[in-house]
Amino acid sequence: MTRRSLLPEESILSDDFLRELMNVGEVDILIGVPTYNDANTVGTVVQAVRAGLLQYFPRQRAVVINADGGSKDATRDLVRAASISDLHHPSGMTALRTLHCISTQYSGGVESGKALHTILAAADLLRARSCAVVAPDSIHIEPVWMKGLLDPLHNSHVDLVTPLYRRHKFDGLLVRNLIYPLVRALYGKRVREPNPTEFAFSSRLAVQFLNQHPWTQDAGRDGTEISLILTALEQDWPIAQVFLGEKSRTEHAPTDLVRAMRQTVGTIFWSLEQNFSAWSSRSGSSPLPTSGPEADVDLEPIRVNRKRLWEMFARGVAELEPVLKSILSPATLAELQRAAAKEEEFHFSDELWVQTAYEFAASFHQEVISRDHIVQALVPLYRGKAYTFLTENRDASGEQLEAGIEALCQTFEQKKPTLLELWEGTK
Amino acid sequence: MPPSQDMLWYKDAVIYQVHVRTFCDSNADGIGDFRGLAQKLDYLQELGITAIWLMPFFPSPLRDDGYDIADYRSIHPSYGTLEDFQNFLKLAHQRNIRVLIEMVLNHTSDQHPWFHESRSSRDNPKRDWYVWSESDAKYRETRIIFLDTELSNWAWDPVSKQYYWHRFFSHQPDLNYDNPAVREEMWNIMKFWLEMGVDGFRLDAVPYLVEREGTNCENLPETHAIVKDLRARMDREFPGCMLLAEANQWPTDLRHYFGNGDEFHMAFHFPLMPRMFMGLKLEDRKPITEILQQTPSIPDACQWCLFLRNHDELTLEMVTDMERDYMYDEYARDKGMRLNMGIRRRLAPLLDNDRRRIELMNGMLMSMPGTPIIYYGDEIGMGDNVHLGDRNGVRTPMQWDGGWNGGFSTADPENLYAPPILNPVYGLQVVNVQSQKRFDHSLLSWMKRIIQVRKSMPVFGRGSMEFLYPANHRVLAYVRKLGNETILAVNNLASSAQAVELDLKSYKGNILIEMFGRNIFPRVGDLPYLLTLGPYQFYWFRLRKI
Repeated sequence: MTRRSLLPEESILSDDFLRELMNVGEVDILIGVPTYNDANTVGTVVQAVRAGLLQYFPRQRAVVINADGGSKDATRDLVRAASISDLHHPSGMTALRTLHCISTQYSGGVESGKALHTILAAADLLRARSCAVVAPDSIHIEPVWMKGLLDPLHNSHVDLVTPLYRRHKFDGLLVRNLIYPLVRALYGKRVREPNPTEFAFSSRLAVQFLNQHPWTQDAGRDGTEISLILTALEQDWPIAQVFLGEKSRTEHAPTDLVRAMRQTVGTIFWSLEQNFSAWSSRSGSSPLPTSGPEADVDLEPIRVNRKRLWEMFARGVAELEPVLKSILSPATLAELQRAAAKEEEFHFSDELWVQTAYEFAASFHQEVISRDHIVQALVPLYRGKAYTFLTENRDASGEQLEAGIEALCQTFEQKKPTLLELWEGTK
Repeated sequence: MPPSQDMLWYKDAVIYQVHVRTFCDSNADGIGDFRGLAQKLDYLQELGITAIWLMPFFPSPLRDDGYDIADYRSIHPSYGTLEDFQNFLKLAHQRNIRVLIEMVLNHTSDQHPWFHESRSSRDNPKRDWYVWSESDAKYRETRIIFLDTELSNWAWDPVSKQYYWHRFFSHQPDLNYDNPAVREEMWNIMKFWLEMGVDGFRLDAVPYLVEREGTNCENLPETHAIVKDLRARMDREFPGCMLLAEANQWPTDLRHYFGNGDEFHMAFHFPLMPRMFMGLKLEDRKPITEILQQTPSIPDACQWCLFLRNHDELTLEMVTDMERDYMYDEYARDKGMRLNMGIRRRLAPLLDNDRRRIELMNGMLMSMPGTPIIYYGDEIGMGDNVHLGDRNGVRTPMQWDGGWNGGFSTADPENLYAPPILNPVYGLQVVNVQSQKRFDHSLLSWMKRIIQVRKSMPVFGRGSMEFLYPANHRVLAYVRKLGNETILAVNNLASSAQAVELDLKSYKGNILIEMFGRNIFPRVGDLPYLLTLGPYQFYWFRLRKI
């Protein structure tokens, strides 16, 4: 991954956007909405945001800022249309104040990092006391989400609020099987959604992150949201979780797993490089202050193509053998290869999965091959773990599912010394 | 009548509201009087005001500060005699200051001889001068105005054993305007004062004159008919005199009180005032522009009356519940500051004694479409005393100097009708006319200056208004136009400096001349006109095409 800092004359904020920010002025609350061609859903989302602001924060100075990646549809107009002013006042709404809903388009294509960078820069300039980011496709968003996300910042002296959702039991597999357990073991805090699409943060954290994050073009592309969470964890900022409600299963294009892995696991591995002292000294984990249930699972049966997962796992283990040899210990690779031999006998144990993940992290640190290749090579192996998860939990209840995730987390925590040994080359 | 015979004089007026009792005591009895008021006319002339509105000065038991009148044709002995009033009137007119007096049409005191007669027996000729009923169930849809003190609009009279109707305090029985004799007598009373030379009336509690079952007994057509009749008689017999409506109503309801230019000449714009305070606190022009957008146009000869504060509480009847809660929290955190549905505070304390905000609010008052009213003492930033009960905290003695009783009276302090303000921030030793007269930059001097600038151009009183709606919502900007005269007012409602781009395309080529310093600002071109304003700063520009 190459890194290039912004040149002094470059700015993430266009002159037109700056002019709009000038008109907004200082605010109490800033809501960021990153978008790209989200005209089908963003109208519903910003209207819910607006209703939430009016209902729960009627006296606060608020702004909705849309950072758009170059939409060709009506996304930006739909956001702007949610404004409330003396010239535009939607009927049936009572608003004390003007509500600016403004939109800016950052250059260089769709990058969540640039969107968050824009939102944070605006928050800094407007001196927003609290900020929240909402996904443009969260079609189940309710006005009360604004209260849920922002109240802990105002009332409980926390600096970061991460969400909890009601999800389908087969949704968020990467988070359940790797990101959550890994982050929990590394940083000792049980953040269920370390890579959230909805979250809120204080101005203090925003400014700290804005000034500290490298915002290099390539590093900034991947995993900026999770970087913010990891920064808060590394530096022990007070964090709370809030149950928001149903998180819709994505109806848009299938996730690019390689990209998702880069954005999440790649970013976590980078953070380990930067903050060894922060994660190496922690053991075990503690829960976070949480409002609402910690997890809620939708058990409605859905079809999942496990066969394809298995095939991609087995083919990956075979085809990537030269790469995996440089990443994994011989024992771990052999065990994976044995496991990959027969589908009907395949079971990716928690022990093996944790060992694999930690060996990948250590290899990333030692840069045994290109770090990007290391992250990519984890993809087929994760598919194997996902296959096992789906198989084991085909008929599982919500409690059983949670128990399984908790067991995996415990294994990550128990085996953390292994990671330290690998990291320091003592094993 | 003053020399100026302009029939629309009230449109250019700057009105000063004062209670005789509070202004100056000439006979050392601790109570202000007409002789004292007359002595202070030079001060008012110097201030630049063009009309005085006097609160009720009639004989009264003073259970509602004179709004409970016991004799409409005389002067309360504490304030002097009819001759004293006539002398005051003459001296005011000599200074080109017009005099408006209060006329409480809706009700009398229960000590008025009419009510004594009316309640004396059911067959008394004056029985029908008031509204009586066997039951207190009539007119159930009528709201109670003084919620803090009254449980019903009906009160039981143990003498004649019937209920009588009262929209305000129970000691203020409503007159029965369905009785032609009442209507005739009230006109005769008005005529009495008009013949003496008063220039107009502020008619109190106008919406409530008539009652009808099945209505809320407010703004009824029959009430409008009574006003029309009074106006027609006045125009016929006393042309150039003016009627000002006190009707705490929404603008659309108020609009009816202008009729086709044949009811009131002026009416208070009650909903605007709290929204000016709200806009200032919110740092957002939205409440102000919204209420003015909702304000209907009025006949050419009519005019809105604008005010920041007056003798009553800052009324919050004409705001939403959410807005009312906000106003209470922001302007009356101390519950003692709240009364009925409002806030009993003066201008300076409401604005934290912040000179910039006081100037900004006065700047808006003087530049918005309407005739401004200044409440006595606000021109020097007097404070209030919420512990005096009812609304007496904003009716304390005028502070003329830092000496004995603040120059208001030579009586022993214990004999004053109310204690003067003595605290270290607003007390008479700190805030008084004499000390402020000495400095060019005192609030008093500034008030004189802004009144002078306003009076220099009729556009302020008579011009049209057009909002500019710059994208910066903290800036309230509008253009006032009258013939070839155009002025631009730009107000920063925020506590921080603001930049604003104004769309002045229609005025391309005009030079902006700042009206206080008369300095020239850049000519309007094709680009949006960029201005920067300091915290709570405002500009008045005259646009000139040279």
